[in-house]
Amino acid sequence: MIFTKKFFAESGLIAGLSVVLGLAFHVPVIRQFLAEEFARGFISGKTSPGIILITLAEAEDLFAGGQGVFIDARSRKDFSTGHIPAAKNFPFEKAKGKAIGEVAAGIPSGKAVVIYCSGKDCPTGFALAVLLRDQGLEEVRVFTGGWDEWIAAGLPAERENDQE
Amino acid sequence: MIRNKHLLCAFRLIVGGLFIYAGVIKIADPLGFARDIQNYRVLPPAACLFIALALPWFEALSGAFLIVGIFKRTSAWLLSFLLAGFIVLVVVTMARGLDVDCGCFGSLSRKADGRLILEDALMLFMALEVALSSPGRRTLS
Repeated sequence: MIFTKKFFAESGLIAGLSVVLGLAFHVPVIRQFLAEEFARGFISGKTSPGIILITLAEAEDLFAGGQGVFIDARSRKDFSTGHIPAAKNFPFEKAKGKAIGEVAAGIPSGKAVVIYCSGKDCPTGFALAVLLRDQGLEEVRVFTGGWDEWIAAGLPAERENDQE
Repeated sequence: MIRNKHLLCAFRLIVGGLFIYAGVIKIADPLGFARDIQNYRVLPPAACLFIALALPWFEALSGAFLIVGIFKRTSAWLLSFLLAGFIVLVVVTMARGLDVDCGCFGSLSRKADGRLILEDALMLFMALEVALSSPGRRTLS
């Protein structure tokens, strides 16, 4: 019989201890949450310096002005079925390895780097941004709305996979 | 059911060690783990944060207790429940067609996929063997 009084007492102790330690250890994070600093996701400038989250309008401005280098973090297959025109495809899974250095080196200086993935809930865009930031890029933008938002807004798209 | 005490000891070290590692790496980056939980699109933000703060400690403490032999069987059961829960979560996530990182090992996590289910199942087997082993042994050997 698993569910003995002893089991519940010991489980309660472990769970209680975990909650107390978890809350006590991260008081600043709880304060940030209560101050609604995480309204756009659990991203903090303090823990993610150099990464800027941008909206569709900002992404559109960078695109229209030709000031941005767009990086698509989705898979090659998703990329080939449609992407932001002139975007470079760096699937996150591949960028995770040694190729990330080449990715960083291939980005022209003086342009804003904008990374996106499928939509606002996909994790790979932000994760790729962290990798690139760690490679020395000073400012990396993440277009959080991603491909879904871009295409839903009727913005230009390129279908063929003409990168590389 | 495995009765070899050396094998059971190895299971405790493997499962306990992995959970300590998984816990500590996430304690160091609570926001990263909160993002991973949020990506599963199951819970509201407050619940994601609460789990991101408490679960890593739960994993690390249970793993440590499993190894040192305090609350050994309870820890083994708790980790078994966790692993079973993870398997269900990954299966449901795959069925929903979501492309997410598992969140298991912080920034070292990889995609929630079939291989992850197999690994979790192997861990679950080891944890259950310890949980179902004869009670009363409180030392490493």
